[in-house]
Amino acid sequence: MRDLAEKWSAAPDWQSATINAPGFVMSAVLGLDQLLVSGDLDPWARLSGMEGTGVGAFGAAQGDRYAARLARDRLLVVSNAPLAIAAGWHAEGFAVTAISAGLQVFEAEGPALDAFIARGTTLDPRQSSASAALSFAGISAIVYRHDGKLRIHVDRGLAAYLWTWMEQAAGHIAADD
Amino acid sequence: MQLFPCPFCGPRDETEFHYGGDAGNARPDGGDVPIDRWAGYLYLRSNPKGAAREIWVHMNCGEFFVMERDTLTHTVLSSAELGGEHAA
Repeated sequence: MRDLAEKWSAAPDWQSATINAPGFVMSAVLGLDQLLVSGDLDPWARLSGMEGTGVGAFGAAQGDRYAARLARDRLLVVSNAPLAIAAGWHAEGFAVTAISAGLQVFEAEGPALDAFIARGTTLDPRQSSASAALSFAGISAIVYRHDGKLRIHVDRGLAAYLWTWMEQAAGHIAADD
Repeated sequence: MQLFPCPFCGPRDETEFHYGGDAGNARPDGGDVPIDRWAGYLYLRSNPKGAAREIWVHMNCGEFFVMERDTLTHTVLSSAELGGEHAA
């Protein structure tokens, strides 16, 4: 029987994987608790004590617990520690879905970050946009800044592809340096 | 490349959007809809030269909206969220 797995390159070991280029370092962020909150975001803000707006594209998030806005009625809540809120429908008008296993997170920093962003998207990183969901490297991603670094969330199934793309982008940045 | 205005996100690359058809092309309702009404809904398109009202969806945030644009000049005239009801 043909082994179709050979058609795809193996995913890197995210614990140790890094991309280094002049002025640019990329690595994976592991262990984050990620929740999708969908529906009426006002009661979510009241019950969770979190700000209900969330950062948009290239917006600046801070701290161990924050939210990125994905749509008019959807937030991605990210936390270093598990959040004490049950998954499922809440009668106040919103649903909580655990998505930690579904999204791979990457983090990049360095003075060449703008050159990296310019290769990934046509969106102007200096212009605000309400949603952090955007097309990056040809795939759907959630992109914002966290404590001065760039964070990218992608579907886990696309993480190996994005890593390959980022390795090539870093190579191009190095060649242009 | 062209920028389309998502009512929620603002200007985004046209590749983030998907066309949803003519605005106002409401699905016929009921069991006694004449066959030519179904045919019109399914197959007939206005295909205007000039100003057009169309349904679009921003794939990244899932916003459905009505966009008015000029099919000749590609000028975007307006965009507005649908708000739950089918745009007439």
